[in-house]
Amino acid sequence: MANYNPETGLVGEGVKFERIRRITGYLVGTVDRFNDAKRAEESQRVKHTVVKPVEKN
Amino acid sequence: MLNGIIKRDGRVVMYDISKIKMAILKAMEADGKTDFAKAEEIAVNVENHFVERGANITPTVEEIQDQVEVELMKAGFDSVAKRYILYRASRNNIRERNTSLMKIFDEITFSDALNSDVKRENANVDGDTAMGTMLKYGSEGAKDYYLKFLLAPDQAQAHKDGYIHIHDFDFYALTTTCTQIDIKRLFKDGFSTGHGFLREPNDIASYSALACIAIQSNQNDQHGGQSIVNFDYGLADGVAKTYRKLYLKNIEKYCEIVECPIDYEQLKEASYDITERTGKMPALKADETYLAEELAVLEKLIGDKAIAEKAQKFALKKTESETDKATYQAMEALIHNLNTMHSRAGAQTPFSSVNYGMDTSAEGRMVMKNMLLATEAGLGHGETPIFPIQIFRVKDGINYNPGDPNYDLFQLAIKVSAKRLFPNFSFQDAPFNLASYNPDDVRTEIGYMGCRTRVVANNYDKNNEITYSRGNLSFTSINLPRLAIEAKGDEAEFYRNLKKYMDLCGKQLLDRFAIQKKKKVRNFPFLMGQGVWLGSEGLGPDDEVGEVLKHGTLSIGFIGLAETLTALYGHHHGEGEEYQAKGLEIVGFMRNVVDEMCEKTGLNFSLLATPAEGLSGRFVRMDKKRFGRIAGVTDKDYYTNSFHVPVAYQISAFDKIRLEAPYHAFTNAGHITYVELDGDVSQNLEAFEAVVRAMKEYGIGYGAINHPVDRDPVCGYNGIIGDVCPRCGRRDGEGVPLEKLQKLGLYKHLNASTLGQCGNPDEEADRIPNPLV
Repeated sequence: MANYNPETGLVGEGVKFERIRRITGYLVGTVDRFNDAKRAEESQRVKHTVVKPVEKN
Repeated sequence: MLNGIIKRDGRVVMYDISKIKMAILKAMEADGKTDFAKAEEIAVNVENHFVERGANITPTVEEIQDQVEVELMKAGFDSVAKRYILYRASRNNIRERNTSLMKIFDEITFSDALNSDVKRENANVDGDTAMGTMLKYGSEGAKDYYLKFLLAPDQAQAHKDGYIHIHDFDFYALTTTCTQIDIKRLFKDGFSTGHGFLREPNDIASYSALACIAIQSNQNDQHGGQSIVNFDYGLADGVAKTYRKLYLKNIEKYCEIVECPIDYEQLKEASYDITERTGKMPALKADETYLAEELAVLEKLIGDKAIAEKAQKFALKKTESETDKATYQAMEALIHNLNTMHSRAGAQTPFSSVNYGMDTSAEGRMVMKNMLLATEAGLGHGETPIFPIQIFRVKDGINYNPGDPNYDLFQLAIKVSAKRLFPNFSFQDAPFNLASYNPDDVRTEIGYMGCRTRVVANNYDKNNEITYSRGNLSFTSINLPRLAIEAKGDEAEFYRNLKKYMDLCGKQLLDRFAIQKKKKVRNFPFLMGQGVWLGSEGLGPDDEVGEVLKHGTLSIGFIGLAETLTALYGHHHGEGEEYQAKGLEIVGFMRNVVDEMCEKTGLNFSLLATPAEGLSGRFVRMDKKRFGRIAGVTDKDYYTNSFHVPVAYQISAFDKIRLEAPYHAFTNAGHITYVELDGDVSQNLEAFEAVVRAMKEYGIGYGAINHPVDRDPVCGYNGIIGDVCPRCGRRDGEGVPLEKLQKLGLYKHLNASTLGQCGNPDEEADRIPNPLV
């Protein structure tokens, strides 16, 4: 699984990181299998802060 | 002279005899015997043939060509006729190849999924495999057929033009969407998968194996995902059976060790006899009545009261931890199974979900605890399990507050979700979920399909307002932004068209239902044949399922409320309370329309916050072509999911929850709210819990928290990976020197000659936890 190359002594060449993301409720092991629209959507997601906003008067 | 000619696409064009002549000449040329005069003569004969048939005749291209063949033969040009026929066939082939279906087949056959959006329409089907490709051919071919032969023309047009989207269209005439499977009922007395009968399971390991089989079998009968609605209550029975078995074995074992062996069968018989008389049995929560009765029996069997007492004590002490271990292994196996098993000709892993959270029995609690722990541990190499989607039911008085019987499990659920993205959370106390809840009937507990589908109200049968054994039949979504763009700021026009297209969807759902209704039990050997679906248990193989299907829902969905509001009013609902009010008006309007459909038909119409995967891109691509780039509307590659605040809009988690919650109340066919958290949330469980609690307090029905979960398969690091793996220091796709990995304590027993293609158990065992700094 680790893709060892005896010539260079390197392990893992060409092995990609797995990035688990949620799509329409289901998890997907890698964004590679997302369709184009979902890839675009995922890349634009911003994070939400958990600090309560200051109440406006 | 002829009136004109009907072309293949139905258009009538001017008749031109020279075209016939040219085609004949080409065939003659190919045969090496060009004869202009003869060609002219044959062409005139063809024309005369039709003229003789009547004054106002308009033949089709095909009819003309047939006659050319006849006249060529008559004139003795047999070999030319043969050429002509071949020429015709090859033209037909080219024409056929150029139709969109054949082009799609070509793309399916020769493109990698990486380059083909068609092949990535569904992220859980591997479009690169043989079975995935075969499935895709079938799917695209079926769609073409339905469009041309089954759909009413106005529905087909609206679907093709992207005003509406008929979901799971490839299964249009075949089956229904999904079911909340009641495994407790299914397992009672065993069941058959159609390939063999399975007895009622007798321990937690078989319960977990059979739960997977149930999901797999049912998935083959329907086109959507599958959910177990009562994972806690259902598998608790398995834990109880395992406990009983191990308990009696432990008594036997003790007696054996102290050299007072007893007959196991006799012991078992005696135990079941007590159960029959008193209704009590050996259980996690020890029962005094049972133990007293059993002691008397043991004393008789062993002939020594002291040993009998000790045997009981030994069994009581040992059995709980053994049962716990067996349950953990069963949950681990279930997760592994659901992530590796295939359905639908091997092209897909079943889309599975499980609901749990409110069973307070010791057995049910043991199931949930171990399910959560097994999820936390991950798969064989520490991977995050993709299936099943787990949905934890949150409820006041059961698990929400300190002192509640399952509060510990709620806390554990938070911890696991912060690491593994599951479980999601459903909220029994949301007013619309509480409305149908009856504490005396577990079947009224709310259940969600992982994707968000929700079924509980029952307009067809008020006595069965339950979640269990029901599901969605089919759903169709409306392209809301399109209607908004076309309204050009005219609110009344927008609502007129919205009503028009909702009516069209309603009609289309009924047409589809008319096809579904005619199916027989034998078309759904598991779903209906095994009584999984509500009411189907009394039906025979040739009975139609129309009546019992009425327990299911027909749902109208929507996408892109944010873009709709922007098109109509210049801003979306995240940008001001007045736009939020407009958003609620639109979705409230839609809910009213489906409620009216319920009244009119006696069926279960409902409003869905559509889980759009393929659709998110399809509508916007078409609208970009039609209207060009409109800021905030068509300027992205996707329309925002249902009523969500746009994903790229800066907003606090609490504001997002507050704004989205009221839409949950309207969308009775299903909904979900996502919050995106940054960083390693497993190190900030308080923040995670605060978000879950906010969901409950604001009246969210179903919610989930997204956060980055990455894994490096080379060193096994699980957590957040930016550009560089924090553990082994490699970049995406880069190699790492073996010595460096060995210094990290990895691959210790391996060298260049033993490092192979497969994971090595020694290496796995060597892995150390990763520092989080």
